[in-house]
Amino acid sequence: MNFTDIHTLMPEIVMAVLALAVLLSELVIRRKETVGLLAIVSVAVTAYFIPTSFGTVFNGMFISDGYSVFFKFIFFTCLILTVLISSRYLEIERSSHGEYYALLMFATLGMMLMASAGDLIVLYLGLELMALSLYVLTGFIRHEYRSNEASLKYFLLGAFSSAILLYGIMMIYAQTGTTDINTISSVLTEKKATVSLLLSVIFLLVAFSFKIALAPFHMWTPDVYEGAPTSITAFMSVGPKAAGFAVLGRVFLVGLYPLQINWIPLLIGLSILTMAVGNILAIQQRSVKRMLAYSSIAHAGYAVIGIIAGGNEGVSAMMNYLLIYMFMNIGAFSILILMRSEDFLGESLDDFKGLAKTHPLTAGLMLLFMFSLTGIPPTAGFIGKFYLFKAAVGAGYTWLAIVTVIFSAISAYFYLRVVIYMYMHEPEGEAVSLSGSPSLGLALLISALLVLFIGIYPSPFISFARIVTG
Amino acid sequence: MLEFFFGYLSLVIIIFSLLVVLSKNAIHSVLYMLVMFFHVAGIYLLLQAEFLAAVQIIVYAGAILVLFLFAIMLLNLREELSAEQLTDGWPASLAVVAGLLLTLMLSLGGFTTTFNGSWSPEKIKEITFTKALGQALYTGYILPFEVASIILLVAIVGAIVLAKRRLN
Amino acid sequence: MNYYLLIPFLPLAAFLINILLGRKLFRHQAHWPSTLAVLGSLVVSVLVLIDVLNGQTLNRDLYSWIISGKFRVSVGFLIDQLTAVMLIVVTSVSFLVHVYSIGYMHDDPGYYRFYSYLSLFTFSMLMLVMSNNFLQLYFGWEAVGLCSYLLIGFWYQKKSASDAGKKAFIVNRFGDFGFGLGVILIFLTLGTLHYSPVFETIGTLSEKTVSIFGLEMNIITIIALLLFCGAVGKSAQLPLHVWLPDAMEGPTPVSALIHAATMVTAGVFLVARANPIFSLSPTAMSVVAVVGGLTALFAATIALVQNDIKRVIAYSTVSQLGYMFLACGVGAYGAGIFHLYTHAYFKALLFLCAGSVMHAMGGELDCQKMGGLRKYMPVTYWTMLIASLSISGIPGLAGFFSKDEILFRAYAAGGVGKFVWLLGTIAALLTAFYSFRLIFLTFHGEFRGTEEQKHHLHESPKAMTIPLLLLAIGAVGAGWVGIPPLLGGGEHFAEYIAPVVGHPAGEATHAEEWMTMGLSVLVGLAGILTAWIFYLRKREIPVRLAEKFQPIYRVLWNKYYFDELYDFIIVRPSLFVARNIIMGFTDGAIIEGIVNGVPAFIGWLGSHVRKVQSGLLQHYATFMALGLFLLIAIVMIVTGV
Repeated sequence: MNFTDIHTLMPEIVMAVLALAVLLSELVIRRKETVGLLAIVSVAVTAYFIPTSFGTVFNGMFISDGYSVFFKFIFFTCLILTVLISSRYLEIERSSHGEYYALLMFATLGMMLMASAGDLIVLYLGLELMALSLYVLTGFIRHEYRSNEASLKYFLLGAFSSAILLYGIMMIYAQTGTTDINTISSVLTEKKATVSLLLSVIFLLVAFSFKIALAPFHMWTPDVYEGAPTSITAFMSVGPKAAGFAVLGRVFLVGLYPLQINWIPLLIGLSILTMAVGNILAIQQRSVKRMLAYSSIAHAGYAVIGIIAGGNEGVSAMMNYLLIYMFMNIGAFSILILMRSEDFLGESLDDFKGLAKTHPLTAGLMLLFMFSLTGIPPTAGFIGKFYLFKAAVGAGYTWLAIVTVIFSAISAYFYLRVVIYMYMHEPEGEAVSLSGSPSLGLALLISALLVLFIGIYPSPFISFARIVTG
Repeated sequence: MLEFFFGYLSLVIIIFSLLVVLSKNAIHSVLYMLVMFFHVAGIYLLLQAEFLAAVQIIVYAGAILVLFLFAIMLLNLREELSAEQLTDGWPASLAVVAGLLLTLMLSLGGFTTTFNGSWSPEKIKEITFTKALGQALYTGYILPFEVASIILLVAIVGAIVLAKRRLN
Repeated sequence: MNYYLLIPFLPLAAFLINILLGRKLFRHQAHWPSTLAVLGSLVVSVLVLIDVLNGQTLNRDLYSWIISGKFRVSVGFLIDQLTAVMLIVVTSVSFLVHVYSIGYMHDDPGYYRFYSYLSLFTFSMLMLVMSNNFLQLYFGWEAVGLCSYLLIGFWYQKKSASDAGKKAFIVNRFGDFGFGLGVILIFLTLGTLHYSPVFETIGTLSEKTVSIFGLEMNIITIIALLLFCGAVGKSAQLPLHVWLPDAMEGPTPVSALIHAATMVTAGVFLVARANPIFSLSPTAMSVVAVVGGLTALFAATIALVQNDIKRVIAYSTVSQLGYMFLACGVGAYGAGIFHLYTHAYFKALLFLCAGSVMHAMGGELDCQKMGGLRKYMPVTYWTMLIASLSISGIPGLAGFFSKDEILFRAYAAGGVGKFVWLLGTIAALLTAFYSFRLIFLTFHGEFRGTEEQKHHLHESPKAMTIPLLLLAIGAVGAGWVGIPPLLGGGEHFAEYIAPVVGHPAGEATHAEEWMTMGLSVLVGLAGILTAWIFYLRKREIPVRLAEKFQPIYRVLWNKYYFDELYDFIIVRPSLFVARNIIMGFTDGAIIEGIVNGVPAFIGWLGSHVRKVQSGLLQHYATFMALGLFLLIAIVMIVTGV
């Protein structure tokens, strides 16, 4: 690499430097909200370097293209929304420490590296950077047993999945002699699909499935999502998941593309199993937070369809789905955060009883997010699902689209149950007191507006995703 | 001759690794691990990777294991010492290990021994391993190298965040 | 011409303002946003009409919601001669009804709700007529149906009102189902839903037939008939007319706006808009003509004997809509739209007059209990008289020109046209009769109500009478744009609308034209005269007639027993099925089985899965490894190693 190519890496460099700056700023800045604000400013500064970053450096190890930029856009938005919903929440949880924001930024840096990784080594390191930050963030409420346990579980299982990933990378390297994704692809086109190759594909598939929580590698998700601070759950279910999809797409649709016929059936099986497990177990949950954890599993099952369908159409549908999912999911989690107050958990379904009477606006927003998660037009959720189905049908998987529709009909049961509790039940006991803050309100506003806007006027987003993948 | 050394080193590594896992006494485990690390360094030497061998001994055997020992001795592990095994899930663990082993066996046939990188054994021999490693790490692999350093930083920050006493 | 966007979106904005802020902010001032918005729409509509008259038309997509391959869902606008007429009709009547409602609804507790629904309706109706594709048309179609349902059941505390709302909704489902199928069929055969490509390529289907129940049918005919299904439901034609008379349970301004002037004419608009499709199918055209003709006559006969003034006018509406379909069916779409346009004014006027009467009579609707109101409410009387003269086809008034045009075109078309011309002419006789029966019973003779009612008789407030006067101008003059050449006019309307709907086929001599015109005037006068004799001179005649022809009278009084028939063949069987089979069997055994069984199953599953989801780390790791090996095993088995 020449120094003149530095612009390609600029966003990552800036992000790393600013993350360090935010980490140190805690020494001088007393107000934690200011640190959060600094994090948001850092994202804006980083984003400024994105448009000039296109290019490939380090012999293809690091790729900044439309695909990665789209994902980085998701990560940035996710980070900003998470910071917005965090500040007041952390005070309620009595865990307001400045490192929180720096760790979020390091996690985002890891995700950016994952999205841009052209080499399995960079991919692995990006993934570890992200995962390590998340382990800490999951356990961030130190005095709470739930949070500690979640963190430890996540760490150990994450280490296990990392081992599987390394195993897979090792096997790929041993058979192709390279870790460069593009080179792997060209080597594989000349090779026959041997058993040993397929085994290495499976190892990679399992490791990525763990990251995006595809069943049966999803088991950590409900426990970790429930135990983690709600703001981190919102973050984890969106950003890192999208990063997982980014690498899944890059590795499978570029590197392992020659073996497509072999891995597609496996991915289809995982996708259907994931939808089944996510949706059916979500029905069982009485805790809305845990329900959203299972829902997040199910949504990963939907989004995988984009990779199964492949091509410009499928990948752009998957990317759009993740973008849309970010807004509706962070929106729903924001409502949970809004419900949480010092002595009130606000996670149970019963806590939502009669919310429409006591807090009509909050209930209305929750209704919007639930509708969107179900996929009812004109919300964004419908658009996301529509294009996924269309990609599936276009690639010849009509039956898979039908299966997905059925599962998404099942999902209506538990999403709309929240709506029924809010609108058709009488409030019980004392009215829920909301712990709102301007920044939380802003996050809700952004999420709700985008859920509606993408639902009503999707074409800019659709064509954006098409262009960057095309 | 090489084959003999390789066989010896591998055998010891396997045996001591098993002992590390199976031993009931954590301090014994650490000491077994020490032996194992030395033999791993031996493997590196066989591959003419003298720098790695040295680092292996200094960092792993010297620093990490000592930390392990400190940690174990600071904790009170008397209860664990009297337990029958460390975990009760050993059959499952055994199955997992067996499965992984089988998988590896199955894929060995597909492994290639050709290189398409820029560092052939002859070239490494010519300019010495340490120099070659340095060149690779600080040119082509500078990005992963730097990312690794950030990971370590995050690990430190994370450990402190999780471990420090609550301020308020 | 970009300001055309204001036309639908002003009412939408008013709707949002009223529904969100109305209850708190406006209360009794809720009419301001809505009325001003629709006034704005009216002004812009006039500008658009001027543009169209200058030859500027427009067809473009505003934005696309979903584009995927050939399937494109977009919001787009088509503004041509037909749209411009509809815009004027909708916005002008809507504006007057908004003003009228200020007086009529003034102390209703749901005032803001009423105005927000009105605005929503106006928006939906405008989107419907301005659409440039079938899907948006369909959405508008359903949206106006929804508003109609909301407004019929506006006084939902009243059981008859909410029942009528439900009835309208359900009956319309039948028609809309067909319409929906038609739209789907268009997409399947032509691959697009935008008007212009559909109309350009529909001809390519003329050879295609499909076999339905062994019957070879042309695909265009099927499409046309399915679309017509929707029109029959929405425009209350035989046999789906039953909902409209019941819809009179809604507030009277709603009846005037939705159930006379605008929404119910959407069916006619649809047929006229889709004229390139209909024109290619003689079968469908004949069906349209005959259904229209029969409905015109059929509804008129029912109106003869009803006493509820709003219902008489409702049946009159059904009958007049029949005329419009009759015209479309013989290819005279222009005449149909012309009648739609004149009818909007005189029929809205009739309804608003009826509302004014109700206002004075304290909600009384039975015209047998009225009489002699002329001297108490002169404005209402005179305006209603004008409207009745207009609908009876008295020369010089709006209704004359349009009805005459229709009858002449039907006659000239020959074939089925001659038959429906006959139906139409008889219906014209009956129309004049029942219209004046209403006038005479209500405004002439002695007052037959209670003393208390008599004490309260008064003319309505200005907010109500001014719209009456304005509409009366329309009822008189609206037809002057379409005076036939025979009477020295330029037939401007037909020429104006021709770019969209073409010229009607069929030739006739001047003598024949004089004949049809003379005959329709004659029967109109005869109807009025008969009504005069029956209800003012010799009041015993109708009573004696009713006694003598008891069975016929009964049939008419009971509206041909349509409600009873539907009750018997549709409602009761469905209820039976619902109660005994669905509730008893399906619900008991299947649904409850599923509802209780699935959770039970999931509970059972859950209890096992929960064991898996134990919270124990080793288990999770083991399951991950198991999953890994399972995948490996599957691949090994499949690849056969």
